[in-house]
Amino acid sequence: MKLLQAKSQLVFYPYMYLDTARYCILTNSLNSQTTYSEQELVALLQQRNRQAFGYLYDNYSGALFGIVNAIVTEKETANDVLQNVFVNIWKKIESYDASKGRLFTWMLNIARNAAIDELRSRSYRDKQKNQPLSEGLAFPGAVTDPVVNDVGLKKVLGRLKEEWRVLIDLSYFQGFTHEEIAKMLGIPLGTVKTRIRSALIQLRTLI
Amino acid sequence: MNTQEYISSGIVESYVLGLASDEERREFEQMCRQYPDVLEARIAFEIVMEKQAMQNTIAPAAEVRNRVFDEIGSAGKVVSMSASPSGNTGWLKYAAAACIILLAGSLYWNISLSKKNKELRNNYDNTVARLNEMENDIKVLTDKESVKMASMKGTLESPQSYTTVYWDTTSHDVYLLVNNLPKPADSLHYQLWALADGQPIDLGFITDEYFVRKDKLLIRAKNAQKAQAFAITLEKKDRVDVSKPAGQVYVVGKL
Repeated sequence: MKLLQAKSQLVFYPYMYLDTARYCILTNSLNSQTTYSEQELVALLQQRNRQAFGYLYDNYSGALFGIVNAIVTEKETANDVLQNVFVNIWKKIESYDASKGRLFTWMLNIARNAAIDELRSRSYRDKQKNQPLSEGLAFPGAVTDPVVNDVGLKKVLGRLKEEWRVLIDLSYFQGFTHEEIAKMLGIPLGTVKTRIRSALIQLRTLI
Repeated sequence: MNTQEYISSGIVESYVLGLASDEERREFEQMCRQYPDVLEARIAFEIVMEKQAMQNTIAPAAEVRNRVFDEIGSAGKVVSMSASPSGNTGWLKYAAAACIILLAGSLYWNISLSKKNKELRNNYDNTVARLNEMENDIKVLTDKESVKMASMKGTLESPQSYTTVYWDTTSHDVYLLVNNLPKPADSLHYQLWALADGQPIDLGFITDEYFVRKDKLLIRAKNAQKAQAFAITLEKKDRVDVSKPAGQVYVVGKL
């Protein structure tokens, strides 16, 4: 019996060299309910595993659409942006560096940047021109009015004191640089930086 | 270094939310490598952000998923490994099915060919038989110098009628060729006579079958020992004494 066990171990020994990712492909094909650890998921994605990518989409598209939607309010455009976000995740996954942040943080920033790029694009601004002005670059003060149906971070934003709220909105949701904000609001760059930092600290306590 | 002061400066949030400048980012990444506290604070805020985002999801349009997969194409597609073994047996199944179909087709083909072959064979046999018959008839008329011919012209009773008799003077065989003779009524039939020394000799009847099957060339009659002339009369079928003619003469001819 012991000999038999030893023998079977020998026989199966080569399979033990299968790395975690490959093992996951096998187990995942057997069990569709598998959940991945972040490490496994990243490894599979970097190997261009579509099943893992499907899992990623199913689990995170809603959260990423939340942030896209907070920036690009027009629904159809927001959907297009989300499509680009996931295509970019697929394309750029090689460049993801776990030492610099979690996978979700990386994806969230891709989503935010894509949404802001869209917001800044000429086509989107042209589209917005035909709409009644609600929030616009010309009236930064108007941004401060909290919109009732805001969700997520935007909702949290509503609970910040006004001078901080404007700063977070302009920097995080509209993607303006500190310099741009300083110029826009007519306050020194240093003050912008300090206030944004303070706003972020405050924001953290509210999340 | 007092990392707590650094951590609570807002740099963690600034970095995670992507609001830090490039310089701040490089510095923060360096701090993370150097101080586990800073790294822990970063991860803690990342988890807060992730949780927050996961609690505030908005469902995108359903077709976006397909559009994404369409756009990334087939690159990196996972090859299904379970397909190959069942594929092999599948191949055998199809091959076996194909063989059975071919066999059945071949069988049907053979049967129909054999049937057709039989038909052709029968036709051929019939044709050969008829050809032999005709060749024999012609031999009767041509080969023997002893065969005499008598053209039998229509009488006043039936001027269009015309027959020919061939009589072999040695074997005494008699053959009749009907060139033209009207089809008789059902109750009547034609009788062939040899006239020898003024006496009629019965050579037999032309059966109704002849008028149905027109392809028969010569009609074999009874032998005639002696004959100077031949005649055909139309007689009633129910006549008792057939040795003497009773009806109208239709054709008559001398040797």
